[in-house]
Amino acid sequence: MWQSFVDLTHQLIPWFNGSLADILIIVIKGLALIFPLIIMMAYMTYAERKVIGFMQLRIGPNRVGPFGLLQPFADVFKMLFKEVIFPSKSNIYLFLLAPILAFVPAVAVWAVVPLGEDFYIANIDVSLLYVMAIGSVGVYGIVLAGWASNSKYPLLGALRSTALLISYELVIGFVLVTVVMVASSVNLNTVVESQSGGILNWYWIPLFPMMIVFWIGALVETNRAPFDVVEGESEIVGGTHVEYSGMPFALFFMAEYFNMIFMAMLAVLMFFGGWHSPFEGIPFLEGLFGFVPDLIWLLIKMSFFLFLYFWIRASFPRFRYDQIMRLCWKVFLPLTIVWIFVVALMTQLGIGPWF
Amino acid sequence: MKKKLKKLVNDFSLGELRTGLKVTSKEFVNKKITVQFPEERTPISPRFRGLHALRRYPNGEERCIACKLCEAVCPANAITIDSEMREDGTRRTTQYDIDLFKCIFCGFCEEACPVDAIVETHIFDYAFESREGSIIDKKALLEIGDKNESAISKAKEEDSKYR
Amino acid sequence: MEFTSILFYVFSLFFVGSSLVMITSRNTAKAALWLILTFFSAASLWLLLEAEFLAITLILIYVGAVMVLFMFVIKMLDTEASTLRAQFTRYLPLGIFVSLVVIVQMALVLNAGPFDLETVGLPEQHGPSYSNITAIAQQLYTVYVYPFELAAVLLLIAIIAAITLVHRTQVNSKKQNISEQINVQAKDRMRFASINKDSTKENK
Repeated sequence: MWQSFVDLTHQLIPWFNGSLADILIIVIKGLALIFPLIIMMAYMTYAERKVIGFMQLRIGPNRVGPFGLLQPFADVFKMLFKEVIFPSKSNIYLFLLAPILAFVPAVAVWAVVPLGEDFYIANIDVSLLYVMAIGSVGVYGIVLAGWASNSKYPLLGALRSTALLISYELVIGFVLVTVVMVASSVNLNTVVESQSGGILNWYWIPLFPMMIVFWIGALVETNRAPFDVVEGESEIVGGTHVEYSGMPFALFFMAEYFNMIFMAMLAVLMFFGGWHSPFEGIPFLEGLFGFVPDLIWLLIKMSFFLFLYFWIRASFPRFRYDQIMRLCWKVFLPLTIVWIFVVALMTQLGIGPWF
Repeated sequence: MKKKLKKLVNDFSLGELRTGLKVTSKEFVNKKITVQFPEERTPISPRFRGLHALRRYPNGEERCIACKLCEAVCPANAITIDSEMREDGTRRTTQYDIDLFKCIFCGFCEEACPVDAIVETHIFDYAFESREGSIIDKKALLEIGDKNESAISKAKEEDSKYR
Repeated sequence: MEFTSILFYVFSLFFVGSSLVMITSRNTAKAALWLILTFFSAASLWLLLEAEFLAITLILIYVGAVMVLFMFVIKMLDTEASTLRAQFTRYLPLGIFVSLVVIVQMALVLNAGPFDLETVGLPEQHGPSYSNITAIAQQLYTVYVYPFELAAVLLLIAIIAAITLVHRTQVNSKKQNISEQINVQAKDRMRFASINKDSTKENK
């Protein structure tokens, strides 16, 4: 017995030294991505409150620190020290599994996001499909939260929200198909590469209706206003979050914001040229803005979409559930299918300036 | 027909949503109207009815003569008064309690008072640390009156034109 | 032992273990969750076989869509253990027979014949630049294009059939016509009535 163990360790050591370094590099890469993301998420809550406050003629948080800049940390500490309450007769394991299942996919999708030329954690061949697959796993957080809470409101919120999520996944899938057809690749890196060459080469021009559909779908997928039926506080109090408090709730919250950042990033990658500068190929401006790094362009474009999230939330009242469903099945789905045919025809026949 | 076409174009270019976004983006850059409460305060009418106070005459004698009109008129039965004769033969209160949980701040006590003894000041940001704290007695009321006498007399003077 | 083979054993352990727990679990919701873990481990095993398209499609379709619907059904149904166990003995002989048939078939297939390891051989190892999705697409859209299209049409027919079978107009449905609602104009909702003084008196 002992001898076999020693033999095994001897066998393990050679690859262990080599692979350990690889694993360490992957872990460090992951942490280097996640920590900025967490800071970003924390300051998004601040930005959201400020932006929505400004749009409602208020001034938003300004008490903690200068201009209220330390407000996110105050929120974090409040959440950390709150008691975690378990509803009686709920299934505690599933109850705690739900926020984890919501949070993990929200972070896991970031593995394939290209942040610049040769600047990514994993460059897998089917990254767009991976994004779709992992994104669809996030639904379980809501399903389980509704089911394990043993309460009426979470169940209702979870039911209507999951129904919406799986309906809109179809729409987003079809939008991705159009992007894949134009870029003729399922790899996000290649999708971005094929958009190189200035603002006019980005896919938002040939796929403009798809971009609008994608953005509305993204609002639904991240459960944001005006489609936040999961927590419509006028009908079902807080929806799936009713029974959650403390850190489990914070995990749901973080998952939502991670998803928001990711959807903004995906919109930039697919329709706004990723890390490419908008002035590429324009004689004078290209040199003028040449010093700006790729990552800055990416972040600027992403921030615009995040701002759009807040702007839309401040502007529109919540949709009714059946109206969102109608929008999905009777408007967006036919529209996307027709546009797939249009794109297929145009790519096949070589029509249009962009294919 | 033309109208229908116009509506169709407007619908498909998300016209109404654009209108909404335009409104919010305009307000985004407008001047904000929030009043930062502890540092800034909104103007208060001279007739504002806040925390109660008992006043004194300029020579230091308390005004209240224990006529109990305020106790009688109080619709919430928040006032309790007890009195006895002092050595100089005048009648003064020995007990003057107001239960602020019962009080509805109607200002009837102030109206009923023949000597302007009980008044309602402009203080509205006060708090109790225990349940018993809601009952303020004569000593506390007189103290509030002493502290805020200038503000009270100024508010009375401003309001006297309209009475 | 290579790193990939360790991964293989870990994922296989997860696969077998979670499927065992799934069929022995009494709680339907938990069983569904264990099934999801089984799908994930299967997907991981496929990834080790360089079949990344299949692996991700498995997660996308089975975990992302099918199992969500399962969870829906579990949530809606009253799955009491006593009603599920009520007629267990009645169906036991049939169940044993079916499982015996399956076991015999599996044994016959796996032991020898076309799926034997010696006849098939080890799968070819490709480098990291190998694109599984391109290979599948090339086969699917050239050699097998007609079966592929036929399957697509069949699925479409199945969808239409399913909808027409289930779809009935309810008698006392409170369904609202959303198109009508959102196309309403202010002038449709507002009506100017001319009221003279005499008529108001009559109403009293």
